[in-house]
Amino acid sequence: MRVRRYMRVWAFLAIVPVVLSVTGCWSRREIEDIGFALSIGVDHAAEEGEIMITVHIAKPFAISTGVTGAVDEKPFWQVSSTGHTVFEAWRNLRQQCPRRPLLHHSRFIVFGEEFARGGIREAIDFFSREGEVRETNTVVVAKGVKASEVVWNEFELERMPAEGALGIMKIAVQELSTTVMVTLNDFLQMLETEGHEATTSRAELVRRPPSEDPRGELKRETISVSGRETGAAAFKGDKLVGWLDKTQTRGLQWVKGKVRSGIIVIEQPEEENKLASIEILRADSTVTPKISNGHPSILIRVGALGNLGEVQEYFDPMESQETWTSMERRMAEVIRHEIEAALDIAKLEFDSDIFGFGAEICRKYPKEWTDLKDKWDEEFPKLDVEIEVEASLRRSGLTRRSMRVVRNEGG
Amino acid sequence: MTVLEGGKISGRQFMAVLIVLRAVPLTLVFSLISNANHVQDVWITVIIGAAVTIPFAVLVTKLSLKFPGKTIIEYSQILLGPVIGRLLGLVILWCFLCTSIDITRGLGEAYVIAIMPETPIYAFMIMLAIMSCYAARSGLEVTCRLGEDVFYVLVFVLLLTYMLPYNAMRFENLRPILAWGVSNLVPPIVANLGYYSQFLVIGMLVPYLNKPEDATRYAIYAVLISGVLMALAAVALVAVFGPTANSWTLPLFSLSRMISLGDFFERIEAAVMAAWTLSTAIKLSLLFWAISLTIAQLFNLKAFEHLMYPLGAITVALSLSFFESMVDLEDFLAKAGAMSSILVAGLTLALLYAALGVRTVIRRRKGGSG
Repeated sequence: MRVRRYMRVWAFLAIVPVVLSVTGCWSRREIEDIGFALSIGVDHAAEEGEIMITVHIAKPFAISTGVTGAVDEKPFWQVSSTGHTVFEAWRNLRQQCPRRPLLHHSRFIVFGEEFARGGIREAIDFFSREGEVRETNTVVVAKGVKASEVVWNEFELERMPAEGALGIMKIAVQELSTTVMVTLNDFLQMLETEGHEATTSRAELVRRPPSEDPRGELKRETISVSGRETGAAAFKGDKLVGWLDKTQTRGLQWVKGKVRSGIIVIEQPEEENKLASIEILRADSTVTPKISNGHPSILIRVGALGNLGEVQEYFDPMESQETWTSMERRMAEVIRHEIEAALDIAKLEFDSDIFGFGAEICRKYPKEWTDLKDKWDEEFPKLDVEIEVEASLRRSGLTRRSMRVVRNEGG
Repeated sequence: MTVLEGGKISGRQFMAVLIVLRAVPLTLVFSLISNANHVQDVWITVIIGAAVTIPFAVLVTKLSLKFPGKTIIEYSQILLGPVIGRLLGLVILWCFLCTSIDITRGLGEAYVIAIMPETPIYAFMIMLAIMSCYAARSGLEVTCRLGEDVFYVLVFVLLLTYMLPYNAMRFENLRPILAWGVSNLVPPIVANLGYYSQFLVIGMLVPYLNKPEDATRYAIYAVLISGVLMALAAVALVAVFGPTANSWTLPLFSLSRMISLGDFFERIEAAVMAAWTLSTAIKLSLLFWAISLTIAQLFNLKAFEHLMYPLGAITVALSLSFFESMVDLEDFLAKAGAMSSILVAGLTLALLYAALGVRTVIRRRKGGSG
């Protein structure tokens, strides 16, 4: 009997921790208590030396679009918070946010132009150290405005600003190649790699004044300020030094072998003032560094495949092979111009090796690079860069020859 | 004398637990890469480490085969006499205990760092210790059977983690190779050999193999497979993270966070955490088993199962008080801990082989005179 009583005591003691632990884990977070921040923007605050972050937080109760139709309510809330550091600003958000904000699902890290020009070093550590932020976040710099204005850009086709911006970003990278998509991991690597300066995507505001003609309006509102992801921001070290436009950005992407698709507009051969569009199918590149007599030089070889997508005047490739090859030549010429545009601005204006030529030299000539790296700022603008482009046209779409426009002037 | 441990394990189980033993710090902190100045060279240090470890593992195994049915604790008493032999046994015991303290704290830290920063670290450590004690109490057979299954899970998860972030990989990050001089290879090699010297536990396992003659072969396989797993880890980490690869506290965890396939197959860190937990639990229960058996054999106890739970409690308590912080732990693992275990393993082996040599010479002389 005594034994059994002891057993009971033991069983009771054993049950207590079990019962206490089944209520959930220590660090549990109920979904009702959480606010998911989807993008985070970093700016200087109005107070000297302080940092302002801006997030937009999803409103779960306003997202659901059930049978009753779309909910009228805006499905997110944009809010700013300040602090001496990013982490403090992020924590200070709790003064205003009734649900615990979390960064697990954030998509974008946006820096305002002014902040980026001053250097992002002091803000970047938080994002890799904090476990909530994924290294797959996309880093973006806002052109001309504060990050706080770009973070919650709304888009007509997506309810969530971050989803909209991400959609645009993905499509632009896939189908235009006129912007770069740089994840936090890429960005940190570019900052740390010797001889490779960082680039990020550039976000802009697009203002569309509301239409004067509210025709047949039952209930209709337009988004008058929206966003655009185009071009690229060029860094030197941790400081923003300037912007690449669409052409220059694609030049950069040609060199890096990251062009996926896009349209190349050339002058149509043998016609005056007529253009032809070529759709890029795919492209690759090799960057070969060479050092002779202590002087580095770079050879860029770009190969591009395209389809003839459009001509403005009648064209039949079967009539003359020459026209077809001349189109290929013109395509190669455009590619070369785009690369040169990027090279020129990087060398002459920024003096920033955004192509990673220095890193390529380091990979091939590690010994020489140790001497070269300290004077790379002087060497890079003088660098000899040779560009070889090989462009070929593969197909001409569903039509072989163009449809004719027959003028019947007489009658 | 009663038989303390009656279990028998197969060669493959022997290999599996050895690989799990080596893989535990890999899945948590990957000291090789965090201590490398130039991460591009880490996979080379893995190869060097394996090349040094194979002879070590073979020597330990061969020595054990000379004393069939006896553990390293028993035959060191035969070789060195009861006093010095026992002292050596205590040193080995201390090494095993240190390792179990490290990994208990390591797993706790990993949980706290990665997902649950508010939860007190001992919550994880106590659960781990109870789990491992329970397994170890059931004997070597249970631990090793479990270890074989965990080994397959571990390899599967690791290969998945290496391959799936392929869209973030840039293999040009791996160049240049060996561009910064050989001296840069030393810290990762030290860290690597530090962990490999835990293969001293082979001396405890060989007597319980059902075919002891296979031990050498499987020990070599264990070194090779764990070497491949680590070399692949180094390559994948450098391809994905480039020069920032040595900045992560939990490199493989961070690697698994990079996995994002088609917007839906992502956030699979849970798999990596499962691999941490399972492999650490197996390693810990193997070590608990080895420690208790060592204690029993040193002090001529009749059973060793009852030592498990107190041992677990001591391990948790020590691992809480041993290290001030994660930085402290990592520093210990890569430097003092690694150096001391290399030293202990190397000296143990040298001492035992010297004694064996002396014994053989004396016997031969006796044989000659008599």
